[in-house]
Amino acid sequence: MSKVTVTFIVNGKEVTLKVGPKERLIDTLREQLKLTGTKEGCGIGECGACTVILDGKAVSSCLILTGQIGGSEVLTIEGLEVDGKLDSLQKAFIDCHAIQCGFCTPGMLMSAKALLIHNPHPNREEIKTALEGNLCRCTGYEQIIEAIESVAK
Amino acid sequence: MISYEFLTTQKIEEALNYLDKFSKVHILAGGTDLLVNLYKESPRLPDFDYLLDISNIPELKIINSINKFIEIGPLVTHSRLINEPLIKNNFPVLMEAAYTIGSTQIRNRGTIGGNIVNASPAADLLPPLIALRAEVELTSRKGKRVLPLEEFLAGPYKTKLQANELLTKIKIPLLSDNYYTDFQKIGRRKALSIARLSLALVTKIDEEGIFQDTRVVPGSATPYPQSLPVTEEAINGISIFQINLEEIGKITSNEMVSITGERWSTPYKKPTIAVLIKRALERIIKEAKTNE
Ligand SMILES: Cc1cc2nc3c(=O)[nH]c(=O)nc-3n(C[C@H](O)[C@H](O)[C@H](O)COP(=O)(O)OP(=O)(O)OC[C@H]3O[C@@H](n4cnc5c(N)ncnc54)[C@H](O)[C@@H]3O)c2cc1C
Ligand code: FES
Ligand code: FES
Repeated sequence: MSKVTVTFIVNGKEVTLKVGPKERLIDTLREQLKLTGTKEGCGIGECGACTVILDGKAVSSCLILTGQIGGSEVLTIEGLEVDGKLDSLQKAFIDCHAIQCGFCTPGMLMSAKALLIHNPHPNREEIKTALEGNLCRCTGYEQIIEAIESVAK
Repeated sequence: MISYEFLTTQKIEEALNYLDKFSKVHILAGGTDLLVNLYKESPRLPDFDYLLDISNIPELKIINSINKFIEIGPLVTHSRLINEPLIKNNFPVLMEAAYTIGSTQIRNRGTIGGNIVNASPAADLLPPLIALRAEVELTSRKGKRVLPLEEFLAGPYKTKLQANELLTKIKIPLLSDNYYTDFQKIGRRKALSIARLSLALVTKIDEEGIFQDTRVVPGSATPYPQSLPVTEEAINGISIFQINLEEIGKITSNEMVSITGERWSTPYKKPTIAVLIKRALERIIKEAKTNE
């Protein structure tokens, strides 16, 4: 199984890496790039913990092979904070108590961020649709939706 | 252990050359079916030596209106089906079905071509596509062939795709005026298979209010999506003012059971499919009456 070379952008920085034929984007992010903010839950597209933004869209990084994304742009949870300042969504999650164990939080934030990029003032229904693919065992979702609403107003 | 070489390309020509040159090549598009099967090492995965990524071929992402057809590239994602005016305006039934698929993350990545070639009994785009009389264009180094989608499907998770072929286009004939469409679905994909059922209805209603050219295609009801000719004939020729929905519901239920035989899920699915055809007809009749 020979490796392939891919060049893509992660959080604004270009990287060129050798990746294995079975290496998924989540593996590359966590193991090669040490960006461990992105979590792996189910590994089969059901839980949303691994959500990142690929070319402006929320995707499950467990369902993408890194070899597929040459020339693309990836934004992970680590890229939300700019110059040491948290993104307004991150602040809202803290203020609204939208985090308990925190395992789902990076994925939730990336789904919410992708929504706001395209639709800065979503209604409640649109927020729920954007979060359809993100499971949370702790919060019951209400505080998460409130946090996003507080930024979307 | 599954092991393979990874190939990727941005050109159809090169993809066809790989398919021609190597044997045991498996195609990868959005990966939302394939990577799940790889992760689970699913027995449904055929044995392969090469994985050919086609997800970056721009030509396969085009949506076009040409000679009374809408042509859709196989890499068009479910999200694009929902947002593309050509689809929204001409085939709302396809848009409605795409909207029910998975989650935002899955719709952003999963493609129409993958949904077709994976040929799951529960593939949500198949009932509307069959009802719209979609055709598939298959291309190899040796040339192209076009098949009606319904004929392309060969069984649960089986199609007539040859090892050297790529699905390169989905062609849907435009509907003339007076056509109405509807999509009904209950249950999510991950729900127990018993609680899943869908139905696509496409039909013409003429100036006198008579149904014509009716197409009824249920999903998750039969081993793989196929149309229900007995139900279609029972609806054709009837007036929207006189149709007996109870009776049509019974005909649909019986036709489904005549295909599947009595199964453990029949006591649930039989009455439920009747509800779906009634709902679809009611919605269309209401729309036709307001258009009068
Ligand atoms: C969490 C989750 C939820 C889902 N929910 C739904 C749902 O509600 N409804 C539903 O219908 N589906 C659902 N799916 C399944 C899946 O998203 C769809 O079937 C999707 O459309 C597959 O497209 P893909 O591009 O990801 O296919 P891939 O996984 O890339 O490919 C699927 C198959 O098609 C073949 N193939 C793909 N493109 C071509 C081509 N152009 N030519 C030849 N062969 C090709 C591949 O070789 C492979 O065998 C879900 C999946 C997940 C993970
Ligand atoms: S780990 Fe990717 S969706 Fe669960
Ligand atoms: S906070 Fe624990 S899973 Fe969401």
